[in-house]
Amino acid sequence: MLDIAYETVVAVVGITAILASIGVIVCASPIYSALYLIGNMTCLALLFLLYNAEFIAAVQIIVYAGAVMILFLFIIALLGAKKEERDTSSLQIPMALSFVVLLFGELLMAMTVGKTNPVEGKFSVDFIQQVGSARAIGVELFSRHLIPFELASALLLVATVGIICLAKFPLSPVKRRTR
Amino acid sequence: MIDSVIDFLAPYTFLIVGAVKAVIIAIGLLSSVPLLVWLERRLMGRFQVRLGPNRVGPFGLGQPFADSLKLLFKESIVQNSADKFLFYLAPAVVVFTAIVTFSLIPFGKPFEIFDQKIGMWVANVNVGILFVFAISSMGIYGIVLAGLSSNNKYSLMGGLRSSAQMISYELTLGLAALGVIMITGSLNLQEIVDAQKTVPNILLQPLAFVLFYIAGVAETNRAPFDLPEAEQELVAGFHTEYSGMKFAMFFMGEYINMITMSALITLLFLGGWHSYIIPVPDLLFIGPLLVFSVKVFILLCILIWLRSTFPRIRYDRLMTFGWKILVPLAMLNLMVTSVFIVIF
Repeated sequence: MLDIAYETVVAVVGITAILASIGVIVCASPIYSALYLIGNMTCLALLFLLYNAEFIAAVQIIVYAGAVMILFLFIIALLGAKKEERDTSSLQIPMALSFVVLLFGELLMAMTVGKTNPVEGKFSVDFIQQVGSARAIGVELFSRHLIPFELASALLLVATVGIICLAKFPLSPVKRRTR
Repeated sequence: MIDSVIDFLAPYTFLIVGAVKAVIIAIGLLSSVPLLVWLERRLMGRFQVRLGPNRVGPFGLGQPFADSLKLLFKESIVQNSADKFLFYLAPAVVVFTAIVTFSLIPFGKPFEIFDQKIGMWVANVNVGILFVFAISSMGIYGIVLAGLSSNNKYSLMGGLRSSAQMISYELTLGLAALGVIMITGSLNLQEIVDAQKTVPNILLQPLAFVLFYIAGVAETNRAPFDLPEAEQELVAGFHTEYSGMKFAMFFMGEYINMITMSALITLLFLGGWHSYIIPVPDLLFIGPLLVFSVKVFILLCILIWLRSTFPRIRYDRLMTFGWKILVPLAMLNLMVTSVFIVIF
């Protein structure tokens, strides 16, 4: 009984996530697109939560739904939220359709793989439930994956410094008072 | 008959207990808002050497009921240029996230009754403190959406200010909390409280406490950091166009956030439901709950005190203060803490 309820909840959340992601591309107004994206991310976080990955769920909400999407909305608010005009003259529709066919073919190919086996990690399920998923991820991240982790953080730092350089110090003095 | 019902319900006891707890928390929080508004008006009156509300009922206690009734029956105005759906959605988001955030706060020791071990919380999540931050950060959407959907430049400015302010101060909030998490070694709020049985964290992490408190005031959009609704510049900021119950919902969200923030500070720094100088007996769940409530009450009074004492700071100074003073201090605190943890 409870298993059926659990499966139903997972299915409902998953279907909502898919509907939300369809909403992102169908909506004409950028605000609603951003909102659907937030809904999609929240659904993903709920799925992580349902699969007992609390830490990933919290990080998903804090980083993506909480920080990144707020900046999206921020920029939409600053630039003004106008509805996009539909552009039917260009090659957009045939290109999009060919991509859809390609991706759908890939999906069908993926279905032919058949039964998959879960990848066994270093930690058992009991161990993770005992110490919590946050600690398990921390131990894994700072032991086996230390160098990629540090490299990624260095990359992010370089990107931040680069953005500040671009915004604050123009390479050649440009006169901006053309407006 | 009754036995068969009990047998049928036995596997779902946790669901029933959870639902009852959720209802109690939601109703308790929503009904504490008018009382908190009354407390704020009374205290502000005293701080500013005036009387405050004292006409309706004893000590003016009837005032919150009169105000709530007035707000319920007020006409709800939606201007034509507004985006209707988002306009209605925004206050709901604010209240919803505020209540859900509080559901993660433990406020007492677990106790046993009718062979059932009942924890004094709605949800005891393993990464509790992260979830508190996550869901409270979703509350910004309510304010931003209110600003966007109102189609009014003051609202928009208020919404933008609020999102920038909250993102900036969330960083300090998280970094200050990290110090506590490091000395406890757990993200679970209950374990953080249990680790403070002998010494509250405020003595071990005084700088983090100050930073967390300042950032907490900014997170809840309270004076002196109430830039999103600065009356002199922005009329009323993001809720300029709101009236009636929808306006009241923004109010509710703000006051529930005040309670949540005070509860979080109590849990992280003041030792939660442990009392230190005066011994308090358990008495099922009343003792710890009382200690916890007294601490939260004192913190709420300090929040109100701050509002009536300090003038609002300028917006650019708010940002400079957040990024150039609080964040480096929080990082320094983190470094010193980690060095101490490694040495001892």
